[in-house]
Amino acid sequence: MDINMENSIRQEQIESFGRLMAGFAHDMKNHLGIIRESNGLMGDILGMGALGEDATLVARLEKSIASIERRVVISANILHHLSGLAHRPDTPCSSFQINDLLEEEYAFLERFSRLKQVAVGWELGEGLPALYNDPALLQHIIYRIYSQCLELLGNGHTLTLLTAQEGKNTLIAFRFPKTSQVDEEIFGNDILRAAIAKIGGKLEILENSSDIVDIRLILSSLDVDNTLQP
Amino acid sequence: MIKSKVLIIDDEIEFASTLCQRLKLRGMAAVDVHSGTEGIASLPKMNPGIIILDLKMPDMNGIDVLEKIKEYDPSIEVIMLTGHGSSGSGMEAKEKGAFDYAMKPLDITELLSAIEAADNKRSKA
Repeated sequence: MDINMENSIRQEQIESFGRLMAGFAHDMKNHLGIIRESNGLMGDILGMGALGEDATLVARLEKSIASIERRVVISANILHHLSGLAHRPDTPCSSFQINDLLEEEYAFLERFSRLKQVAVGWELGEGLPALYNDPALLQHIIYRIYSQCLELLGNGHTLTLLTAQEGKNTLIAFRFPKTSQVDEEIFGNDILRAAIAKIGGKLEILENSSDIVDIRLILSSLDVDNTLQP
Repeated sequence: MIKSKVLIIDDEIEFASTLCQRLKLRGMAAVDVHSGTEGIASLPKMNPGIIILDLKMPDMNGIDVLEKIKEYDPSIEVIMLTGHGSSGSGMEAKEKGAFDYAMKPLDITELLSAIEAADNKRSKA
């Protein structure tokens, strides 16, 4: 099969997954909306004294209602990020805030670090300019690098995500304690390198003397004219 | 005390009826209907001052319903409900004349604040 056709199929496949996920997130929010309103109604009725003077029973129900509310809010937040993530491939290139993009993806990355018992720290730069690039591809790259970082870490380690502006470039860094020699190949397989090249980025591995490793993804905005060309 | 009558238009029947009960418990005159067509048809009879309107319904797009409502009576204040991930659709609704928008699942406190603000605006008009 022609390579261009194969790429087009893959692109359409990603878009289809995105739309399916977006629809799923939308439906789930509707279900959560019903759960939240029903739970709220129970709280309203309880607040009106429907259970009489049994303070223990009232307290138990209030605790359950608060727990449901809390979990609905957490679930809604995850779905909110899922909607955002799912809509990213809608346009190949767009303008976005790097910190928003990272936080959105982290709603899903968090699980992987939690299972590996790796703490995650944040050092997000403030007031960073918007980036014009391919956000869906960038999220894929971030996922790959994040996963590779976790492979090198274990219980009790901390992985810190940093963003900053370096001249005209935007930096995303993954900082973690040096546990062993970092093999450049781990972060540099051909597909990942090609993906980074496609968004005009550069990957650097810095091993500091203080036993800290920085995996640095350096990005800049793509040329609008070039990205509009087929 | 909210003086305006509140109409809820949402195809999710359980959601609309439960929200309606919660507003009634707070002393509001609230009614729920479950399609855009039904909502528009009910305007002359119900005479609502505030409408809580779902953005996505099977029979009609919420934005189209909003336009029909504003054609019928521009003084009706509409609060759009959106389940979208971004605030983009809510902002679009505001540009088309919605008073405000709220994300699903609703935060009742935020919705009550929006209803109160819409009611105040109508009182001053």
